[in-house]
Amino acid sequence: MGTSSTRLEHDPVMLCLSSGKGGVGKTSLAVNLAVALVELGQKVLIVDGDLGLANVDILLGIEVQTTIRDILDNDSDPLTAVVSWEPNLGVLPSSSGVPEMVNLGPEDQVLLEEVLRSIARHFDYVIMDTAAGIGPSVLWFNSFVEHNLVVLAPDPTSLTDAYALIKVLARDYKRQRFHLLLNLVTDEKESLQTYNGLAKVAAKFLNLQLHYLGSVPRDPAVHKAIHHQNPFVRQFPQSRAAKAVQELAKRLVDLGHAGTS
Amino acid sequence: MTETQVPLASTPCPAGLDDCPVQAENDHLQHECHRLLKQLQIDPLTNWYNVSYLFSALEQEMERSRRTGIATGLIMIDLDHFKQINDTFGHEAGNQVLGWVCRLWREKLRRIDIACRYGGEEFAVILPSTRLGHSIRTAERLRAIVESSPVPIGGQSIHITASFGVDVCSPLEQITANEFVQRADQFLLQAKSLGRNQVAHPARKPSREPTEISSAERAMLFVGRWPKME
Repeated sequence: MGTSSTRLEHDPVMLCLSSGKGGVGKTSLAVNLAVALVELGQKVLIVDGDLGLANVDILLGIEVQTTIRDILDNDSDPLTAVVSWEPNLGVLPSSSGVPEMVNLGPEDQVLLEEVLRSIARHFDYVIMDTAAGIGPSVLWFNSFVEHNLVVLAPDPTSLTDAYALIKVLARDYKRQRFHLLLNLVTDEKESLQTYNGLAKVAAKFLNLQLHYLGSVPRDPAVHKAIHHQNPFVRQFPQSRAAKAVQELAKRLVDLGHAGTS
Repeated sequence: MTETQVPLASTPCPAGLDDCPVQAENDHLQHECHRLLKQLQIDPLTNWYNVSYLFSALEQEMERSRRTGIATGLIMIDLDHFKQINDTFGHEAGNQVLGWVCRLWREKLRRIDIACRYGGEEFAVILPSTRLGHSIRTAERLRAIVESSPVPIGGQSIHITASFGVDVCSPLEQITANEFVQRADQFLLQAKSLGRNQVAHPARKPSREPTEISSAERAMLFVGRWPKME
């Protein structure tokens, strides 16, 4: 079940969605952003980097035929590991072995990066959905994308964990350009207030300028859509959350390759 | 030595002769090669690998670390006050002690661990793909077993102890096997200077760099600007 492609290969925009703290709606945002980007005419790949929970697999009810290990061992076509959810939306599920391989040695990581890049070339946007926390796989995914998107909710633990993630990535991996994406906010005021708090600390202690990508409000439509096993941008396209995600997708398209750290 | 010597299987004559003289000569040469190779690598007194094997095996394991990303552990060991044993009981008894202790330790090591005699009463054990914590625990186990196991020599029981220096070579380090041995040896010297019968090692590091947020950062994250919580 591979994603067929006739378009010319090119460099995709690679994004990584991480959060520090779990439970801030990161996977839901990754899937909905991907769908919103598809609706803007982009061809998108979601890489599920969370072996522990394998959320994307469950959310989309998919089963993997070819793993990354098969590709490395048997020279299989890398695209055969990608599950095509719809014509312009591919998923590289965690059961394909991507996050598992990240925890292996440096040699395997180099091979994995080569495979991921060869798959990615068939898409316009690649969204890496990482596990929560600052484990090795989270840091690895973040270390080679162009844009590091940090998802946080307006609560103290989420803020602290997001800051810890940014600090490690900036200090140990020399990442410089972070985009903050606030989820589960009451309104834009609360979102900006949270962003400003974090941005000031990052500027003072890490000498970093954090970028504000936008926010998604707390919306009952999100919860309802999960029960329908359908992304909320599809199930309830007129909901506040869907409109916010559509706006974020537009900003991502504007962002493109610009501002690579 | 890490494995018991198994006689090499004789290969059948390709021409199918039962009493082939060429095949017999071939088998003899193979056995001779095996015997000489063993002689080159094995210390006959302890049956542990010798010092030249130590360095080639260590180079190989350090290279493996660079590929797999998992550290190589090294334990340097020295029997405490061994000269006294030689002086009191004679060199033959001293040799028996060395053989006895090496058999005791070999049983406490994994099959993959490479046990070598470094010279005299000093030994080196390579722990392939082993991090610092486990390397220290292994050394501590070797220290405890020798301390609690009196050596039977000429109808007497001699209590002996040993000092241990432990270090690991991380996959990112570009050092030679010789430098690695020197480094672990420094910890052995430290163990001896601290009173012997102990394990010295580098400070254990947290599994990753500390990422704690300082109190100043924390204060600024929260002070006075936290929005209303739900």
